[in-house]
This record gives sequence, C-alpha cells and structure tokens, in this order.
Amino acid sequence: MQQGGGSDTEVTWEDQQNINKFGRLNNRFHELEDEIKIAKEMNENLEDASNELILTDDEVVRFQIGEVFAHMPREEVESRIEQMKEVTSKNLEKLEEEKDSVLAQMAELKRILYGKFKDSINLEED
Amino acid sequence: MASSSTSAVSERRGIPAAAFVEDVQTYLTQSGLDVNSSLAFLQERLQQYKLVEMKLLAQQRDLQAKIPDIEKCLDIVATLQAKKGTGEALIADFEVSEGIYSRARIEDTDSVCLWLGANVMLEYSCDEATNLLQKNLENAKASLEVLVDDLHFLRDQVTVTQVTIARVYNWDVHQRRSKQAAAAAAKDS
Repeated sequence: MQQGGGSDTEVTWEDQQNINKFGRLNNRFHELEDEIKIAKEMNENLEDASNELILTDDEVVRFQIGEVFAHMPREEVESRIEQMKEVTSKNLEKLEEEKDSVLAQMAELKRILYGKFKDSINLEED
Repeated sequence: MASSSTSAVSERRGIPAAAFVEDVQTYLTQSGLDVNSSLAFLQERLQQYKLVEMKLLAQQRDLQAKIPDIEKCLDIVATLQAKKGTGEALIADFEVSEGIYSRARIEDTDSVCLWLGANVMLEYSCDEATNLLQKNLENAKASLEVLVDDLHFLRDQVTVTQVTIARVYNWDVHQRRSKQAAAAAAKDS
C-alpha cells in the first residue's frame, strides 16, 4: 500500500488519521486471514480425529496432551474432542466476523480517501 | 469523525512519535533544512522505525510460541490432578529420541516438577504448579497485549513518516515546476 499527498490537495490531520487507520486495518486483515486458515485446519484435523475414533474399536486411545500421548478410555477422548471442536468452531466464527467488520471499515475508508485524493493515493495491494 | 487526542503523544516506550506536518512550507522554514536534507532525515527516521519494528516482531513471535506451551503444561497438570482420586496410574507414551517412543507409568502423585529455565527445575505441589503456570500465562498474555499496542503505535508513525516524505517530495516538484513556469513566462515577456 502506497500513500501520497497530491501536490494540490492538502493532507489534514484527519486524513492522516484515516490513512493510519487504513494501514492498521490492512495489517489486521492479513493477520486474520492467517489465523482463519489455522483455525480451519484445526477444525479439519479434529473432524478427521473424531471420524477415526468412530471407526476404531480400541478401548484405550492415546490422546496427545502437551508432548506425551496419554492412554485414555475412548469415551473421555470422544468428549475431549467434542469440546475442542466446539471451542475451535466458536473461535473460527469470531474470526470470520472480525474479518467482515475489518473489510467493511476498509471499504468505507477507501471511499473517503479516494473521494478526497483520487489518483494521488493508492490503497490497493501491490 | 472528530480528531482524536493521539496527536498529543510525543513518544511511547522509547519510540519517538513522528510529528504531523500541517504545512510543508512552514515545516521546512521552521526546521531550517532544505528539501534534500529534510528527505534524508525522514528516510533515516523511517529506517530506525523499521529496525525497532523487526525487534518487536521477533519478541511477538517468542511470546506467541510461549503461550501455547504454558497452556499445554496446565493441561497436563490438570490431567494428573484429575487422575489423583481414582487410584489409577496414568500411562503415557513419550518421545525418548526422534522417532523412538517409550511408555511411562505415572503413579498417583501430589507434586510435579516445573522447568524454570536456566537449567533449574523445581518441585511443586499440583496446586502450586497450577497457580504458577496460570500466573505465567497471564503475564505472557498481558506482555503480548502491550507489545501489540506498541506495534500499532510504531506502524502509525511509519505511515505518518511515509506520507510526510511523499508530501515534501511533491511540494518540491511543485515548487520547481512553478519556478520553471515563472522563468519561462519572464523570458517570453
């Protein structure tokens, strides 16, 4: 993202703050994309894990806690995975919501800044 | 949107704020610098900001790695505590070396050992361990929050400096064009 003040249009403190805010939102948007990707992968892994659990008929399952694999009865593993799935889904939902909000705010700022500076400013991804 | 009061902050935790330039002409007259020196100064400021940003990003990565580690430790201590009443031992497979695993049998226990760093490991009761780990987790999260705020502040200063550089440069181009136009007009008359 480049910025430029036109040689004819003056840049006010309010404009500067809008540009700053846009920069922050853009950074946050990229962070959110990464976080959403990780959360989606986590969701998929948990889904795969619970499918495997259904297929297996072992009574004792090795469940990873920290760096070790603890032997646990199947029901306990099932409920732990269910719990983790819920937490990850909620987290993913929250991230998606934040991403939508960030995009909306960025669109609004683009409208304001392009409105004032037209070609003198570039707010696109390079 | 009314102007916020952030223009009053002159520095934050050792990071100097970039002064917002209301008018380029006034800024150059006040600083007594010509355009090139001014641009050089602003570029140098930008480099310094970039250095600080790299340092902060590295610290952020460390903290972000530390937090899941502490959460895993808390999970293990909680699991051990849950097993305590039952009289069963916890059987766990752990990595002895890359690709080699062994089985451990962890009996009912009241204490755990925590690695404190600097080659020091201390024994704690499960409750004390939970408290200590919880406190470390909260400290790490709080530090991360402050760090993130620092990064936001820093990025704002970088943006302000970049915009100022562009404006000074454009002002200079504008000045040269006006002078050329004036000189051409004078020659013709």
